[in-house]
Parts: sequence; C-alpha cells; structure tokens
Amino acid sequence: MKSRLLGAVIIAGAAVFGQQEIGNDVDFWPSFAGSAEESPSAGADTSQLAQAPQSSPELPAADAPEVDESALRFFARQGDKRRLEAEISRLKALYPNWQPPENPLSIPPNRDTKLDMMWELYAKQRYGEVRKAIAERQAAEPQWIPPEDLLQRLSVAEARERLVNASDLQQYETVVRVGSEIPSLLTCSDLDVLWRVAEAFAKTGRQGRAKDVYSYVVANCDDANERLATMQKAIGLLPRPDMDALLAAERTGTDGKKEFATIRAELARQSVAMSETDPKIEVSPADLALVETLATQGNAPDALLLGWYNLTRNKIKQAEEWFRKAYDLEDDAKSSQGLALALIALSRSAEAEAIAYDWRDESDELLRTYLAAAANLLATDPPPQVEPSVLERIVETAAKAKDPATAQQLGWYAFALNQYDTAARWFGQALAWKADDEPSAFGLLLSRERLGDRAGVAAIQRTWAGRSTRIADLGRTVNNPRKLRQTDAPTGAPGGALLAPIPYVQDTLPTQSPPEAFTTSTPNPPSRTIANDRQSPRQPPRRRSCATSNVPPSTLSPAAALDRGWCLMDVNRPLEAVSAFEAALRSGSERIRSDAAYGQSLAYLRAGLSDNAAVSAAKAPQTRRHGKELETAILASRALEAFESGRYVEALMFLDQRDAIAPQQVDLMILRGYAFMNLRRWSDAQRIFQAVAATGSREGAKGLSILKETRRDVSESPRN
Amino acid sequence: MSRSFRRLMWAITALTSLVTSAAAGSTISARDWDAYKASFMGSDGRIVDDGNSGISHSEGQGYGLLLSYLAGERSDFELIWAFTRTQILLRDDGLAIWKWNPAASPHVSDLNNASDGDILIAYALALAGDAWERIDLTEAATGMARAIGKVVVKDDQARIILMPAATGFGAEERSDGPVINLSYLVFEAFPVLARLAPETDWERLSRDGRQLIADARMGEKKLPPDWLSIHMSPKPAEGFAAEFGYNALRIPLYLMRAGDIDKDMLTILRNGMTGPNGDVQVVELPTGNVRKELGEAGYRIIPALVSCVVDGTALPKDLLTFVPSLYYPSTLHLLALSFAAEGHQECL
Repeated sequence: MKSRLLGAVIIAGAAVFGQQEIGNDVDFWPSFAGSAEESPSAGADTSQLAQAPQSSPELPAADAPEVDESALRFFARQGDKRRLEAEISRLKALYPNWQPPENPLSIPPNRDTKLDMMWELYAKQRYGEVRKAIAERQAAEPQWIPPEDLLQRLSVAEARERLVNASDLQQYETVVRVGSEIPSLLTCSDLDVLWRVAEAFAKTGRQGRAKDVYSYVVANCDDANERLATMQKAIGLLPRPDMDALLAAERTGTDGKKEFATIRAELARQSVAMSETDPKIEVSPADLALVETLATQGNAPDALLLGWYNLTRNKIKQAEEWFRKAYDLEDDAKSSQGLALALIALSRSAEAEAIAYDWRDESDELLRTYLAAAANLLATDPPPQVEPSVLERIVETAAKAKDPATAQQLGWYAFALNQYDTAARWFGQALAWKADDEPSAFGLLLSRERLGDRAGVAAIQRTWAGRSTRIADLGRTVNNPRKLRQTDAPTGAPGGALLAPIPYVQDTLPTQSPPEAFTTSTPNPPSRTIANDRQSPRQPPRRRSCATSNVPPSTLSPAAALDRGWCLMDVNRPLEAVSAFEAALRSGSERIRSDAAYGQSLAYLRAGLSDNAAVSAAKAPQTRRHGKELETAILASRALEAFESGRYVEALMFLDQRDAIAPQQVDLMILRGYAFMNLRRWSDAQRIFQAVAATGSREGAKGLSILKETRRDVSESPRN
Repeated sequence: MSRSFRRLMWAITALTSLVTSAAAGSTISARDWDAYKASFMGSDGRIVDDGNSGISHSEGQGYGLLLSYLAGERSDFELIWAFTRTQILLRDDGLAIWKWNPAASPHVSDLNNASDGDILIAYALALAGDAWERIDLTEAATGMARAIGKVVVKDDQARIILMPAATGFGAEERSDGPVINLSYLVFEAFPVLARLAPETDWERLSRDGRQLIADARMGEKKLPPDWLSIHMSPKPAEGFAAEFGYNALRIPLYLMRAGDIDKDMLTILRNGMTGPNGDVQVVELPTGNVRKELGEAGYRIIPALVSCVVDGTALPKDLLTFVPSLYYPSTLHLLALSFAAEGHQECL
C-alpha cells in the first residue's frame, strides 16, 4: 500500500520535472520508487498519503493546451524575472507543446483587477489572504471560478511554507508527508525543498530515499553552485558508498576542472580523520594519496591529519614529518601538540618540551602533553644536561598542575644527580599529590636511604607493608635505582612506563594533598622548608662560594667548618652542611658548638630528617630562643613527615604540641586541615579552612573546595 | 442516569450536531464577529491572545475557526485555517504545536501540543467540511481526530482520559501523574470526531470525563480544580494553583453546549462559582476562599446561562451585547451567545 502510493507520488513528480532530461530517468525512478518498500512510515501517515494521488491534479492532455498565462502576465508586469522564468519552466513542464511568448514583458496586463490583487498577494507570499480573497469573491460572484493555475500554485506555495516550517522544527515525518502530497514541489527550481526532503528521509532512517533525492539533483539539475551545495549537504547525511555513487555523476567544466573536487577532498579528509584514532580502520590508498597531495600543497590541517594518522599507526618518523610540516605552516596548539607527541615517541623530548611549552595553557590536553614531554625529558638515561631555565619552567608548570608524574621524574632526576634531599622532596610531593604512587614511594625510600635516614626508611616500609615487594626488600644495597624502577616496578605502575613515551600522563587525583603553601613545591633552589622559614631571625652572613670546595670538612678548623656549614645551607646542600657542622661541633668554644648544633639541626630539618634534627639540637646547649625555634620547627617537621606517611593522627598530635609553644602558622593550619580531611573529620577540616580563608590566604578557599569535592566523591562512591 | 439513556442521549447529540452543522446557520451575528476579529485576528489569520503578551496558540486558532464557522464567515475561516495549517499544524504525529510567539525567533520554542486546541481545530474543520462540502477540510479533520485518539486519549485504570498534551503529564512523567485538565474536554466535539475516527471510544471518553468532573468537585463549594491529579483519588495537581480558575470556569459552558443538561451538576457548579453580584469567582481549593472576582461579561454570562437553562431566568440585558474585552472572555462570551441563539431563544 505504502510503496504503491509513494511510487505513484514519485512518478507524478517525474512527470512534472522529468521533462528537462534525459533518458536516464528509467534508471533513476525505479530505484527511487523501489526503495519505498523499506519505508518505516508511521501508520498515521497512510491516511493522508492515501489521499495524495486522488487529489493531485490531472495533467492536461498534451495536444490541447488551454494555458492560463495570468501568472506569467502578472510576473512580467511586476518585472519579477526570477518568478517569470520559474513560471515559464513550470508551464513548459505541464504543457510540452506550449511555447512561451517571445517577449513576456510585452504581454498585455490582466484586465481582471481583483485577480491581479490576488496575484499580488501571492507574490508577497500572503497566501492566507489569497485564500480569503478567493472565498470573498466566490461569495460575491457565485459564478466566478478561480483559475486552476492560481489554486495549484497556492497549494504548492502553502505546502512549501509548511514543509520549510516543519523542517526548521525537525518534524521530519511532516516534511516527508507534505513533500509526498505535493510532488510538484520537488523540482530543480527549488533545491532548498529537495534538500529538506532528503534531510527528512535521512533523519528518519531512510538513507536510501535520501540518496535518491540527491541522485536526482546531480543527474538532472544544472546550476553549478547548487550541484556543489547538494553534495555538501549529502556529505553529512549519507554513508560513503552512497557518496561515491553520487560522485559518479560529476561533470567536468569547460576549464577541465572536475566540479566535485572539493567534495572528493572532503571525503578523503573525513576518511583519514575517522581512522585517526583507530589503526584498525583502513583508509583507501586513493583517499590517503589525495590528502597527502593536499598537505604537500601547503594545507596545514591536512598535514596535521596525516600526522595523527601515522602516529596512530606507529609510523613515528612519518608522523613527525607531517606534524613538522603542519607546525611550520601554522604554529598553533594542535600542530605543536602533535609534533611534541611525535618527538616524545622519537625520544627527542628536549625538543618536544620546548615546542609544547608555548601552548601548555591552551587546554588540559596540551598541559598533559607538555608534562609528558617534561617527564620524558627528565627520565632520559643518562640524565641529560637540562638548562636551568628549562628546569625552572618544568618545576613551575608541574607545581601549578600538581602533577605527580612530573614530580616523580623531578625526583629521579635529582636522585641521578645525587641531590637526594631534593629528590626526597619531589618524591614526597608526588606522594602528596598521589598517595598511592608506589614508584614515588620507592624513590623516597631510596633517597632517605641515601641520606642515612633509617627512621624515614622504616616509616615508608611500614606504610607500604604488603603493597610493594621492592620497598619491603630494601635492605641490600641498591646501586642503580633507575634500573630498579624499570625492572622491579609493579605491573601497571607509571614508573615502569616512564622511559617509554607517555603521551598522556595520568590525571592527578583529587587526593587530599597539601598545596605549596607549607611544603616544598620548588625543592630546587630556592628551597622553602618549614625549618628554613623558622630560622628567618638568623640570616647567616653572605659568604664566598662554598659549593666548589672539595676539602673534607674534618680537615677544617671548627670555625671554618661552621662557616662552611652555613655556606652550604645558603646554597641548599643541607646534608653536606650536616658534616660541616659536625666538624664544628668539635670546637672548644661553647658559642661555636651551640651554633653548630643549631645549624646541624636546621640542616637535618631541611633534609626532612626530624629525628636527626632532634638529636643534633641536644648536642650542645642552645640559647633559649634557638632552642624554642628548633623545638617548634622539629615538631612541625615531624607533623609534616607524619602527614606524608599517612599517619594523620600523629600529625595532629605534633601540631598540637607545636601550637602549645608557638603561635599558629597559617601553613600549618592548612596541614591540619588536610589531616582532618584525611581522617574524614569533615566539620573540623571545614572549620580550619574557614579560619585559613579568614586570614586572607587563598589556600583556605582551595581547601574548602577540595573538601567539598572529596565529600561528594566519598558520598557518591558506593563503597563508602 | 441509566446506561441506555446515556447512549440515547449520545445518539441524539450526535444527530443534532450533524443537523446544526448542516444548517450552518449563523448563530453569531456579523456585527459581533466583526468586532471580535477586529480585536483579536491579525491580517495573517492569527488569533492574538492579548491577555497573554500577544502570543497565539492552538486553542485560539481553534476558537477562531469555530467562531468564524458559527458566524458563517468562510473567508475569515480560510484565513485562520491557512495560518493554522502552515504555522502550527506541523507535528510529526499530526497534532498542532501549542504555542506561537510573534516576538520570538523562531516563533516556536516548545513543540508540545495542547489537546483542547487540537480538539477545537479538528471539530471546527469537521463542521465546516460538512457544511461547505469541503473534502479537504474533512480530510484534515479526520487526520487530526485520528491523531488525537491515538496520541492523547488514553486508558487509565478502568476509564478513558484525555491527556492535556502528548508529553509532560503522564504517570511516568510526574509523581502525581496522570494530571488532566477537565476543561479540555470539549464535549460537543466528541460525537463529531467519533464519526471521523471511530476507532477511538469517544463516547466513553465523554462519559468518563463527566464522571471525573463529578468526582473532582471538592471543598465546601464543590468545584473541580483547573489541574487535577488522578494518581490516587482526585486532588489538585502539584505545581499548579489549587483552584477553580480560568480553565475550569469553561466546564459548565462546554456541558451546556454539548446539549447534555444535567441540572444537578450545572446547579452545583453555578452556585459554587458565582459571587453575590454575579461575578465569576476564582476559588481556592479545598478551602473555598475566593481569590479573585472576574467581572467581564464573558465570564459572567456562564453562570447566567446556567440559570437560564436550569431555572428559565433570562440573561441580564448587559450580557446580551457583545463588546470585546480581552481575547479569552470575549471568546467565551461569543460561544455563550451562540449557544443561546442556537436553541435557547428564551434566554435572549
């Protein structure tokens, strides 16, 4: 039933506009009508569709053209050339034997002024008013019969308006219904309607019918711009094989140019783009070759496409070349990201870091690319010479992004340069940002071991008991931590993958990490530690360079050793300073011994070894002020250490002790807040962060927002 | 009323609706229609709701078609129908989009329908199609009647109900759903739609609708609310004012126009809705507190007409002359006058 009706409708349509062409409607129309079989058209439609063939006007016999030229005359008089031409082609289609007047503009005007008025309203697209005028005249002049031409054109115009309105509101069933009812709407002279009908077919799962409409256009309609626009419309709606079928109707211009060259390019691009992220999707050699040609001609987006295409297929060298081409053409976020990723894959991370840096703030993705480049740069074996300015910007970016992977790599980098103290801080930082980061814990363990911090080593081993064999096993001497982290890393841990390219570093977790306010976000100079802050009353005098001296401190005089100690503290080499202060402690002068014990204690504090600091502080009597300062700093340091090891209750205990002897510090309040948060003492944490916020510190607001997020995560997690 | 009597009544009503439509007598005077269209009809055939920021809706188009039909004004009917068809009768399911805003671009922002608007349009088209022997109008009416039956006439437990719209009011869409609007039941239309779309049980819809009106009367004044939840026992729907208001005040008019004169029901409704001076009251439910008194003639004529039909009291003189006020009371006024002119000359 349905297919019969739609077939009839379509064939009626062919009768109207088939005149313009060609013998190929034999091929075209059967497929159009035939595909109606699969129409999922709703039941409600059928009643309306059923009416269509009956109500569609009978075509006049070809040999008796009683042609109504009133519209023609009206449009001619109006000087409306476009409508005039449309009317001529419409009449030609209706009456094949009819000849249009040679000069339509010379046609005498209608004498029927009322009818003229109706045509005028029609020309102004006030179709309702035409209907009204017809009804009024019929009432006044019962013998008057409105011209069939006017009624037909009115129906078509109203149907068009309805179809366009329905199409704008995505009422696609209505579009199809109206289009089927008024087949004479579907002509080359009104491609917008054909496009809308095709879209309605496609959007209601009738791609085959949509394709038929587009095929009709490229087979029969001649306007070059409209043909191209038709293909552009089709691209978004038809599958590729249908598009290829449409391309078969491509015409070659007088200039020898293929009219659908841009369409072919677009299809080729689409095909490459679709396979960009999935190496299993095959791209036809023709498509690939076309995009390569376009890229070679200097189209940056095409070069970019090819970069991704090759990168996905692990053809890194080709990827790098295409990205480089894109980058040279347009240094923008996308090309620099692609190029950076290719360079990382080629183990040219230094170049990658430099290229990605400029665009790191563009998006999270680009930031991750930059951090990946930085992490891979730092992970290079043997450790490369990294310019201080580069290191500085890596540190700055990592701190801003709170990125545990980069922090970890900074740790290994420092470790490889024997800066165990700095390494320990970065590993600690990585753990603060990602508490379950085993490679960072392992790094921290090795660093503490190198620093001789037995208690610290034991603390990590306790915390990680049962979770990491290699942490538990540390007891034998470890000579090459870099090897270790490659071979012993638990499966899946990021540490294992770091030397390989890592295009995307995993996200920082919203763990309860204390931000930079109190801790060592920039462990490389200048190093800010709690102990360092506390010692501010005593600014050691500026001294000559001490870093280059290779003289063992034990050979120095106690006074010189003391000087050396402070000097080393100045350049942030606290563990060497420890030895220097140790030499100074041999002095007979109580003042020097007191100062040395003070310095050594501070040095240990700066190295994060609070237990040792406590021992040092007891090595010589301290001034009251120094004693209190050290005690305060040691308690703060112990609190921090306890926090870092996840012993939050102890951290709170140390903080309580510290606050009993010294005024509150904002940074330690923040630490307290996070300790509460980790213990899920939400309201306590809330109270603390509010107090911090009241001091004007931004960390208060940050803490509150992290707290809110954490509480939500916890409450959303079914396990909690 | 016994069941068989109801069936008889239904048959008679169906018959009279045919007779009256065939007669196509002008029950609205040319003077009144001209005044109405001068106030509320645009030159494009759009009926303007001037009490509602000048928007248009399917209800207004339906009323416009019905009134112009009742006035015998074919050319204006054509104009209103042209606008209705091209601008709002666009939904895939064959129903009309409920709202059209001249100030907004696009004019349509909400694709939902309003069932009373659809019923009014289909009804007016059917009447005109019959009276003027216009197959195209009858076909359009038939398509809409089928769509209404399919999309918004629903089984609910042991009854048939009219959903106010295709979406937004069902049991699965609201915690207190289904929510219905008893004033969307244009009873006079159902026998006409039944001829066009017999697959829907319009008679039962009509019967169950009357029963719901009886069941939904609440409070001291025994009035039904505008918006009714029938999730459990009938009660005012959440999110709407719990009141007998602008919607429900049409109910007695629709009952009378449908020709089913249930004197008890009409008397109760009239007594509940009428203020001491004859104004129509907006009544909070179930408290019975009066929220507002509506003094426009188009409102006041409704209880006055009940008094005429039930007690034989003629309409007060000032209500006999139609002077346009706002779109909605003016529309009700003409519908009431048309009803009196058609079969109750004694009221005039």
